Amino acid sequence: MTATDERNWVGRRVPRQEDARLVTGTGTFADDVAPAGTLHTAILRSPHAHARIVSVDTARARAMPGVAAAIAGEEAKAHWSPLGANFEIPGMQLPTAYGLAVGKVVYEGEPVAAVAAESRYLAEDALEAIEVSYEPLEPVLEFDASDCGWADAGAARRPLVYDDWTDNVQFIWDFAFGDVAGAFEAADVVVRERVAVHRYGAMPLEPRAVVAEFDPGTRALTVRVSTQVPHQMRSQYARIFGLPESSIRVLAADVGGGYGAKGQADVDIIPILLSILTGRPVKWAETREEWLVGGPTGSRHYVHDGELALRADGTMLGLRDYVLADVGCDGAVRAIGLAALIVASNYNPGPYRIEAYEVHARAGVTNKSPYGAYRGYGKDIANQLIERLVDRAAAELGIDPLELRRRNLITDFPHEICTGPILESGSFAECLDLLEEKMDLPALRAEQERARAGGRHLGIGVVSTLEPSAGAIPMSIFSGFESATVRLHPDGTATALTGLQPIGQGIQTSYAQVVADCLGLTPDDVRVKWGDTESVPYGLGAFASRGATFGVSAAHKAASEVRRRLLVAAGTLLEAAPEDLDARDGHVAVRGAPAKRISIAEVARATYFLPGPYALLPGEPDQSLEATAVYTNPEVSWQPDEHGRLRIYPTHGSGAIGCLVEVDAETGQVAVQRIWYVHDAGRIINPAIAEGQMIGSSIQAFGGTMFEQDAYDDEGRVLTRTLSDYQVPNLLSVPEIEVFHIETPSPITPLGTKGLGEGGHIGIGAVLLSAVEDALRPFGAKVMDTPLTPDRVLALIDAER
Amino acid sequence: MSAIRAVVNGVEHEREVEPRVLLLDLLRAELGLTGTHSGCDDGVCGACTVLVDGAPVKSCLMLAVQADGAEVTTVEGLARDGGRSAVQEAFIAAGAVQCGYCTPGFVVAATALLERIPAPSDEQIREGLVGNLCRCGCYPQIRRAVRQAGEAPA
Repeated sequence: MTATDERNWVGRRVPRQEDARLVTGTGTFADDVAPAGTLHTAILRSPHAHARIVSVDTARARAMPGVAAAIAGEEAKAHWSPLGANFEIPGMQLPTAYGLAVGKVVYEGEPVAAVAAESRYLAEDALEAIEVSYEPLEPVLEFDASDCGWADAGAARRPLVYDDWTDNVQFIWDFAFGDVAGAFEAADVVVRERVAVHRYGAMPLEPRAVVAEFDPGTRALTVRVSTQVPHQMRSQYARIFGLPESSIRVLAADVGGGYGAKGQADVDIIPILLSILTGRPVKWAETREEWLVGGPTGSRHYVHDGELALRADGTMLGLRDYVLADVGCDGAVRAIGLAALIVASNYNPGPYRIEAYEVHARAGVTNKSPYGAYRGYGKDIANQLIERLVDRAAAELGIDPLELRRRNLITDFPHEICTGPILESGSFAECLDLLEEKMDLPALRAEQERARAGGRHLGIGVVSTLEPSAGAIPMSIFSGFESATVRLHPDGTATALTGLQPIGQGIQTSYAQVVADCLGLTPDDVRVKWGDTESVPYGLGAFASRGATFGVSAAHKAASEVRRRLLVAAGTLLEAAPEDLDARDGHVAVRGAPAKRISIAEVARATYFLPGPYALLPGEPDQSLEATAVYTNPEVSWQPDEHGRLRIYPTHGSGAIGCLVEVDAETGQVAVQRIWYVHDAGRIINPAIAEGQMIGSSIQAFGGTMFEQDAYDDEGRVLTRTLSDYQVPNLLSVPEIEVFHIETPSPITPLGTKGLGEGGHIGIGAVLLSAVEDALRPFGAKVMDTPLTPDRVLALIDAER
Repeated sequence: MSAIRAVVNGVEHEREVEPRVLLLDLLRAELGLTGTHSGCDDGVCGACTVLVDGAPVKSCLMLAVQADGAEVTTVEGLARDGGRSAVQEAFIAAGAVQCGYCTPGFVVAATALLERIPAPSDEQIREGLVGNLCRCGCYPQIRRAVRQAGEAPA
């Protein structure tokens, strides 16, 4: 099979198999299921960001009609263990956190008590009968350089978020490679910038939902949940509730968006507890306000102090960065956002040849909701710094920003970057060239000049992007393999079971395309199954754009083994050597003699049912047309080398993004007129699905950079409690986006594929800052912070006037 | 409790409901029509859009008792006998679906838009469907789908 064979299904815009059920409203999202006798959960949440719990009384609630259970943290402790850590990296401070708060609350919205009742309405009524007495404490609302020992703390030391911690620093990551001091001494120019991004994050339209069914007789637990990682959830539930994993079944059919934010066991365990206590099915369907106040909604909130050393000819010599993130109350136990700093630290040098590099990263806790994961996951943090520094250096050196990039982009592959990962293939320079052509930069510059002469402020931005995919985090539940089983049935149709989890990224269709090519079938002949821990092999699910690297490769590996056996069996029937056979269009045929053929269904039937062992597969140890495979990648290393370097991502996409904006200097309003996005993620399985991912990630990052924001008052209370307050992009606000593919196959995956889906998130923030700065060039304003809301843009202009 | 009677997807239903129960909850929990989704609880996202007497309504903002005597169409009722409407087909063809959670609301709202404006301009599509949110960001494909459905022969 080659990329150029037009008879292949891989590479085609095959319509999605998922859509027939989704457009007709017949999908199965977690909240769509209600077993007979289901109780409904309502959760009482803390109104304070930081407070001691003096007392909780659930007795009145418990006595209300229709209420089956009401319980608070102290009492619940007898029935569960603290939440399990998602990362356990040495030196990390981990809080002891329960599903219902014990002793103290550390964010507004932290669950304090919960009710299970005959209806959601009755459950919410009962919350009002629960009496809680709090002793409010001073909230910790900031984490800055003074908390890291990088700046003088002065007299005012902040309170501790956790009484048993030594400070509010949850995580430290220091790394250096090469002669950094020497690089900065040898430099002709050093540019320094503070680059900061505000708090925003994922906002899947489907809030979290759980249906838990505990069977008291067998002590078996079934949990239907909106999650990206069903198998790890089973592991976490087993630990938390002291049940064998083999007694737990986790189900996740359709998931209404995740984007990283549905990868932890947090509040989701409350309905499980209530089901164990009542012996009845219990549902929890989260409200939007619950997500906005207590969910992992904050997933960005960081500040870089970075500097880049260059020679006068633009050669980059060294990079140094002090980066800190406010991870809310927790980024490792209640949520999974924290390791984004490891990823950022690994990829800060971007797609450029930088051989001397030093980073100091700190994650600090505050009294805000848990820090979730969100598309980009540190690759955006890295891009934001290096791309702003490159633009600054270009201005300083008087070199065209694209030219400065070209002089430093990595062009030889494979290329081991200074932090350890190997860029296995890529096309950064080609992406930039194609972008320049598609944007028609000379014409845009001329248009900009004309506009300026007329008093209008157009701005043009261009960035390069490096898109690592298929990451795994050492010492975490996010490891580096994926599994698949492929079964060719006696009737010639196939089933593919994957451990990967669909959350909207088109797994069902794209895996069917891959398996169809292997077995000589059509995608419609292949039924892809997922999201049931009792029927699919143990897999790790959806995170870090790992599908097209790990998931697809596992499916391909299993299907290739089935294909091998299919050809052996067909060879027996056709009296031909397997290597002379090909499977296509539902038949196995002798190459060069297409008339000598047999249908795949016939071969399959004969393999399963012809009498006698070894009839069609003589000598084969496995006598069926079914195979299970696990795929991992040797390019990954979680053991630090002698320099402390890791390889946590095996595949790397290339890209370049450009945009055109217009800034109204009177109002500060930024109109993003167009975005051009050139992308190379190796071989593309389904271009329509890939474009959906590219456009979607661009639109999300556009929203985050321009206007989405988690806002808090001075007491740490959330101000953005509805989707009217926390605005996401809509049909009127989104810009025009054009996408272009280059395909440089990855040499390390069987089909040449690489993960994709985060590229827009990685580069859009920096390119918008760059373009707005370009628009404001007549004012001389630097644009280094988000969001680019009118008031903030106007303040930048006014500061220079 | 209040007695209500409504025709939902062509079938007449009679129910006793608490006055505070939302139309959304009646459709999902009582009638099992789970294609209508809850996304924001505030009438912002449009995932719960249904047609009430032909007009698009956010069913999280309407009480079940307000639907007494009305004709309600949910996403499940846009096409009968397991088929798909032109709008539903256009969403598939245009690649306008990712996670699919917002899709039923969009399909219902687009159906109502096309009823009102059979061949809408791009601007009319943007304005007409601004009350529906797609967090996966399929907006360009959704615009294409509605344009194509508008052009499709009835």
